[in-house]
Amino acid sequence: MCKKRALLFLTLMFVFYAGLSILSLYAAISPQEVLKKADEARGKEEGVEWEVAIESIEKGRRQERTLKVSSRNFNSLAEYLTPASMKGQKLLMLDRNMWFVKPGLSKPVPISPRQKLLGRAANGDIATTNYAEDYKIDGTSEDTVNKEDCYVFDLKAVDKKATYDRIKYWVSKDRLVGLKAEFYTVSGKMFKTALFEYRNNISIEGRPREFISKMVIIDAVLKEDFTILHYRKVSIKKIPDSIFNLNLLLR
Amino acid sequence: MTAFLITALWPGAGTADEDMCNTLICKMQTKDFSIDFRSLTYGIVQKYSDSTQNPSNDFLQIPRYVAALELRPDLRLNKDILDLSVKPRMRVYYRKWQEGSREGDSDWDSDWFINEWLARLKIRQNTFISYGRENLQWGPSFLFSPSNPFFQDNGRRNPYLEVPGMDFGRVVYVPHSSWTISLIANTGEGLNKATGPGRFLSSYPPAPFEKTYSLKIDYTGRESYSTAILSRKEDSGNILGFFGGWTVSDALLLYSEGSFTQGSQALYPVTDNSTLRASMQKLYQYSSSINPAILMGGSYTLETRGTLTIEYAYYGQGLNNTEADSYYSLRRKAAQAFISDGPLSALGQKVLGQMTNTGLRLLRKNYGLFQYTQSNIKDVFDCTIRWTQNLDDGSGQFTSVLVYYLGKHLELFSVGSIMAGGKNTEFGSMLDYQWMAGLKYTF
Repeated sequence: MCKKRALLFLTLMFVFYAGLSILSLYAAISPQEVLKKADEARGKEEGVEWEVAIESIEKGRRQERTLKVSSRNFNSLAEYLTPASMKGQKLLMLDRNMWFVKPGLSKPVPISPRQKLLGRAANGDIATTNYAEDYKIDGTSEDTVNKEDCYVFDLKAVDKKATYDRIKYWVSKDRLVGLKAEFYTVSGKMFKTALFEYRNNISIEGRPREFISKMVIIDAVLKEDFTILHYRKVSIKKIPDSIFNLNLLLR
Repeated sequence: MTAFLITALWPGAGTADEDMCNTLICKMQTKDFSIDFRSLTYGIVQKYSDSTQNPSNDFLQIPRYVAALELRPDLRLNKDILDLSVKPRMRVYYRKWQEGSREGDSDWDSDWFINEWLARLKIRQNTFISYGRENLQWGPSFLFSPSNPFFQDNGRRNPYLEVPGMDFGRVVYVPHSSWTISLIANTGEGLNKATGPGRFLSSYPPAPFEKTYSLKIDYTGRESYSTAILSRKEDSGNILGFFGGWTVSDALLLYSEGSFTQGSQALYPVTDNSTLRASMQKLYQYSSSINPAILMGGSYTLETRGTLTIEYAYYGQGLNNTEADSYYSLRRKAAQAFISDGPLSALGQKVLGQMTNTGLRLLRKNYGLFQYTQSNIKDVFDCTIRWTQNLDDGSGQFTSVLVYYLGKHLELFSVGSIMAGGKNTEFGSMLDYQWMAGLKYTF
């Protein structure tokens, strides 16, 4: 009888400590690691190819663009597929350096990160996301988005070269994906909000992972203005350096 | 048959949805093969400048009106280790003269040519070898591209006119994501020669061709890039070119481009005892002196999306004030000789020919450029306005490039230039104005 009690006690202790270990393991994920995991679901990989369909409504006017994007770490090459009048135009982003290449136009034109892609979408929005490296965590709190528990990170740009000065970023506690972001100007004024969906699935090191499928950007002032980015035909693959090389870009 | 072709090529002419792949061109595309097909229809109105460079338009014979239709298909085959591309061109054009020796004359003509083609082999994951006819352009500047030893024209003045391709062999090695090393051999003049389709709408021939060999090293950092180009021209000296840029902030870019050239193949005015008491000569052909050309620029993107660009260029090979006085004095004498009926006319013609293209990329030493660009205004309109100023002789050139999108395939464009300055100035010597307007259709 004593032996049985002792065995039960030991089993309960094992379950208790195992549970504690799991909890402490989860709790051990640092805010920076949470941010890195969230970046993974938005393309921070050794290479990703996707098609981005952008739909913008501004002051009642509707515009559409489709781009094929090859992206790896801080580099991206985007090629316009539609509309026909923009077909073949390319946007090459090498870290913070950006060039615009137009068929027939002889020279690639260097452009600044501030130049917008379409509607409220910045050029950086079609590329992979590097919040973990471009921003430092200035504060954390908790909140819910669509009844989903989230960590809320106050992100501050590491330097003035990041696309946005400050971002408030909601990351799902359960899924470790970003669900919502608010973008702020240097003066502290919010100028747009983004909502993210993850209906694409990829495999990272053999493990299935949710991957971004939609980003909705809503203007902070003109609420009826919004831009939707649909990410589709996602393909994770190793993309060589030569893809992001101006010398090898066919115009 | 015509109706079929129109329906097949022109999606708007059929009933099908534009976004669907229902055109013949779209259906011909595969994973490895692509076609971009554009047609341009345009008209040009221009007025020659009655300067000593082109007295009464008898020398350059610039037509008053030009109308043209161009078909520009770009075909590309992209296999894993092989890239093939070809850009055949067809141009039909009409010209009408209102001044000069061809006054009242008009003609129709056509050009069929391949402006660019390329065969490129990936011999290793990071090494590529290619040969073809290319328009090889680089550098961030608008005014001119001093770091490029091959092309005088950087194509920025009129984005609707293609720069004629030249023949290049290239080896490109990418040892690291930040570094690229290229060996470039410019083996032939291609279409960039004195006659032929490459000279369409160009008033003067290019500088004589020289085989040129270059080593180009590119570095790209986190928010900056820089490139050095060491070139050897077969019949003249060495050139060290460079360019670089810095993304200072979200909105501000700073850049520089330049070259140091040993000697010069350019023609300069020299006072002598010849018939015109002066002539154009290669004064610095064997000189070991180093001529710098330095351009500095910056662009700032406003919150309203427009981008302001400003550039300053110093061109060391350009004429100083004394040389410019000699230049215009000789040009006046050459013009008088040209319009005379006597035997001097041929000499005048020869000297005027030399003076239209001295081999200098810019005539004088100091230049400024100011530009404003805004794209996607009201979703349908792109606008570029540019002022180029010769700071030595006071002449200038105003250029506007306006594009209005009429649907997903069609754009209406206008490229206008107005020159300011006297007849004895750089920008006042060739044209008073030029206005090009047309439609571009992308299939």
